[in-house]
Amino acid sequence: MQFRLEKRAEPSRLMLYLAPILALAITAVLGALLFSVMGYDGIGAVREIFLTPLTNPYKWQDLAVKASPLVIIAVGLSVAYRANVWNIGAEGQYIVGAIAGTGVALLTYNLSGPWILPLMLVAGMAGGAAYAAIPAFLRTRFRVNEILTTLMLTYASVNLLNYLVFGPWKSPTAMGQPQTVLFSLDQSLPYVVPGTIIHLGTPIAIAVALIVWLVMSRSVFGFQIRTVGLAPHAARYGGFSADRTVWMALLLSGALAGLAGILEAAGPFGRLVPQFPTNYGFTAIIVAFLGRLHPIGCLFAGIILAITFVGGEVAQTTMRLPFAAVGVFQAMVLFLLLAADFFVRHRFRAVEPKTSARPA
Amino acid sequence: MMRLNRRHIMQLGGAAAALPLLGGQAFAQEKVKVGFVLIGTPDDNGWNYGHDQGRLFMLDAIGEDKVETTVVTNVAEGPDSERVFRELAQQGHQLIFGTSFGYGDYIHRVARQFPDTRFEWATGNLTAPNVALYNAKFHEGRAVLGTIAGLTTKTNKIAYVGSMPIPEVVMGINAFALAARKVNPEVEVTAVYVGSWFDPPREADLARSLIAQGVDVITQHTDGPVIPQIAESSGIVGVFGQGADMSAFAPNTHLTSIIDHWGPYYVQAVQSLIDGTWTNGSVWPGLKEGEVLIGPYNPNLAADVVAKAEEVKNAIIDGSLHPFAGPINDNTGTERVAAGDIIDDGEFWAVDWYVEGVSVVE
Repeated sequence: MQFRLEKRAEPSRLMLYLAPILALAITAVLGALLFSVMGYDGIGAVREIFLTPLTNPYKWQDLAVKASPLVIIAVGLSVAYRANVWNIGAEGQYIVGAIAGTGVALLTYNLSGPWILPLMLVAGMAGGAAYAAIPAFLRTRFRVNEILTTLMLTYASVNLLNYLVFGPWKSPTAMGQPQTVLFSLDQSLPYVVPGTIIHLGTPIAIAVALIVWLVMSRSVFGFQIRTVGLAPHAARYGGFSADRTVWMALLLSGALAGLAGILEAAGPFGRLVPQFPTNYGFTAIIVAFLGRLHPIGCLFAGIILAITFVGGEVAQTTMRLPFAAVGVFQAMVLFLLLAADFFVRHRFRAVEPKTSARPA
Repeated sequence: MMRLNRRHIMQLGGAAAALPLLGGQAFAQEKVKVGFVLIGTPDDNGWNYGHDQGRLFMLDAIGEDKVETTVVTNVAEGPDSERVFRELAQQGHQLIFGTSFGYGDYIHRVARQFPDTRFEWATGNLTAPNVALYNAKFHEGRAVLGTIAGLTTKTNKIAYVGSMPIPEVVMGINAFALAARKVNPEVEVTAVYVGSWFDPPREADLARSLIAQGVDVITQHTDGPVIPQIAESSGIVGVFGQGADMSAFAPNTHLTSIIDHWGPYYVQAVQSLIDGTWTNGSVWPGLKEGEVLIGPYNPNLAADVVAKAEEVKNAIIDGSLHPFAGPINDNTGTERVAAGDIIDDGEFWAVDWYVEGVSVVE
């Protein structure tokens, strides 16, 4: 007997929603088994990773802070990916966005006023979009694959960041350490929930997801993105320019990555340091796919990833679970979620092996 | 394990209200909880290993009946560390060690939220009422390594693989080069930067290309033992352990090592917490205090080289030799420190130039 993989004609709507829950349940069971075999309290560890971040109100702020940049970047990427534009260099656009916004901060360091922070955010978006414009230009003009260019530009952006913080932007009071000055109060994100570390980036992330959802589902732009992605020939027939779509997809995803970058710099970091790149741009790729390239899906996917990060730290401190075990668990969550999603749409079907004609 | 929610806070409140009735006895029997936040894992056999050995030394000296520790590994220097410090403080750790410079901003933020929790920031530069600093004069050990390098090199080309151009690395290079050229003025020192504290593939590439250029003694200022391994397989004259004895990785080539011996400091810090005498001090001990140790010498090392190395070490310990005693010229030939002068502990952090004989590969 052989098995053949085939697409289901019509994925069950019930399973579409049940699959992620099922996947998380399987992860929990496998995780508990794994941790028990390793000699830890398996059920306790899984509880710490999955439930503590949700049940302990002290952890909500951490989830919000961790999820916000992931959601903002992933929403932008989901639009690009829908258009079949493979921007995998959001990390670079995130870094350049932070650099651009920080540039404004350093120029306005001796000034004050409520206009400074908005200007920094605009500069961040412009920086991210400008950095994504390079691959857009190369793709539309010279047909250079954007997967390569966006990825390579990420490494270039890290070097730009290092050059600035080790060189011209180094704070004179940092005792030789590579870091910019701390941003002033007018340059820092305000906390939106008093007594917590939840900053303005969280409402912005929610707003971005909602706005992009509306735009994608209700506007001609959204229709164009989806059409070009699903059926490029039909799109061309319909008068949609493929090059224009590439430009828009890259500029939008770049601008949102840049926005996330300056929000992170002006919020949790409070200055620019060489340790600024924390792979949010790459993690957001997972978030985008986990969220099924849907803005609202990205919102939930971002929270799920934040839970595994925050919960993983809790398990490290309370259960003394090793970092590597937490990593294995996080990978298991993603693997099973994506596998479940796959099997909602595909199935294995038993087929009879073909009997080859044998010479008599 | 303790987690804070509304009900627990009520219980804690009740318990706290009852505490004065119990007197000091309740505290005396309670174990103190001490947290350690590491940038990598203890099995790096270098920086993190050194801190973890210090923790074990402290546990042993004070006794596991009096203190318990929590170690969080692989904590990135950034907002992720703020979460870890807050988590440890919420769980009732009374003293938390952050063992990397980049934790500073976050230690200070969390310290403001938890005024009763004590924090110690390794290699830091800013104290607060509940934030102390501790560091070690690794550059003193570099002077001993430089002496050995200068005496043993055959090609007169030696190299220093640094993590990033920050003062403690720059000054490590300078101390190494000054000592090497003092015993062998022909020596040229090539300094290269990895751009990270732990990047084995890149460290290995740099070491290989330096060796290909004729370098025969290398020292490194990163967190792991990959360069000693490359040195051993290339069969060059020598390499040194950094942070810990790395002779197991290069039995023939490993000449000696700088060992970070944090243990005594951790004992003193935790004991002062138990005794109620903890202060937000700032300490920077070195060879003299035994926080920086020179590891065992390779048995194949010539006796006169060992004798010279010991001489430099003992002179630094008794104060007769300062690693940065003038005259010192920088690598453009400009005199930076006059004869009879030194670079003192305050001036140390402002040095962004390299001494004569050092060429930096950007």
